[in-house]
Amino acid sequence: MTHEHAILESGVPAHVDLLIGSLPLRLNSRDSSLLSAASRRYQGFQHTENNRFSIEVDRHLAKHEESDAFVCDFEGARVSANSRHAHFSGVHHEYALDSLLRMFLSWALLPQDGFLLHAASVIRNGKAHVFVGRSGAGKSTVASLSPQGSVLTDEISLINRVNGEWHAFGTPFWGEFRADGVNTSAPLGGIFRLIQSSGNCVKPMRSSELLKSLLPCVLFFSSEAADHKRLLKILAAASAEIPGYNLQFQKNRSFWEVLPS
Amino acid sequence: MNVPGAGVWQKNPSLAWREIDEETIIISPSESVMHELNNTGSFIWRNIDGHRRAEDLATLLTEQYEVTQETALADTLSLLQELSARKLVVAAEVLQGGMAR
Repeated sequence: MTHEHAILESGVPAHVDLLIGSLPLRLNSRDSSLLSAASRRYQGFQHTENNRFSIEVDRHLAKHEESDAFVCDFEGARVSANSRHAHFSGVHHEYALDSLLRMFLSWALLPQDGFLLHAASVIRNGKAHVFVGRSGAGKSTVASLSPQGSVLTDEISLINRVNGEWHAFGTPFWGEFRADGVNTSAPLGGIFRLIQSSGNCVKPMRSSELLKSLLPCVLFFSSEAADHKRLLKILAAASAEIPGYNLQFQKNRSFWEVLPS
Repeated sequence: MNVPGAGVWQKNPSLAWREIDEETIIISPSESVMHELNNTGSFIWRNIDGHRRAEDLATLLTEQYEVTQETALADTLSLLQELSARKLVVAAEVLQGGMAR
């Protein structure tokens, strides 16, 4: 077994260590079934990294602390977090855990200049191509028309600035295009706004147009003005620094031919 | 006479906003709504500081663009009225707990 994995006597992990984007996380719980489910669901994202962000997961809905910087409720479950620790409470099944993890990441990525986006990401020629669009725009279609093993995600992309360069990371969050999670990353080649069409055509976007395309597709749950200001600053920088395109595409592999290399 | 948009205005401090390509994108966290301002709207927005009156903003507009004071004031009042209706600006005295001037 390549991953550090403390095992209780019963064979159930005592915790699950994950690396999503550049963020090392440790899921702790006294609930063996939740940890087992997390271990299975995020198998491709288990990793050994130090300085992990600690997340307590339990079934009992807890009150949040005054010191919590981020609190968000979802269907009877709650995520509350400060800069080093988070609590996922009221979690009765892995789908609630998955939802809270997305909500938490949308906030926890801010200090790293990162964000989550409703987008498919595909690696081609060493560069990540991010295809953005709401439900039905064609994200899963693009993923299904891409070479096997090249798809980072068909649903939720993680964009993060690393050493001054924007990268797209694989995430364990998938849509219709089911596959094993690919926990890798690549420098961003471009962001493409999906427009289904009878032909293939790609046109560059202005930075402001890219920003306006990204905003409705960003996952973000904080209600704090300071968090929104931070997010908008990150998105504006990304829009100014990453090439953005409108992509009219047919539902076949031919659209790859018009993408800039 | 109470002229709509007249007075001293302040940007709503709960908003997030950025200028990009001479446009301004404003986000209202409480409503998750995006607002856009064009070039001249961005110029006025940039100069709303809790001290300048509509007349002052209009004067700045005439210095930046080829427009008469009368037209500039009408456009400024119209924009301030719309920004106020969308709660993107608030009366400066509301924030400061008294009259701005």
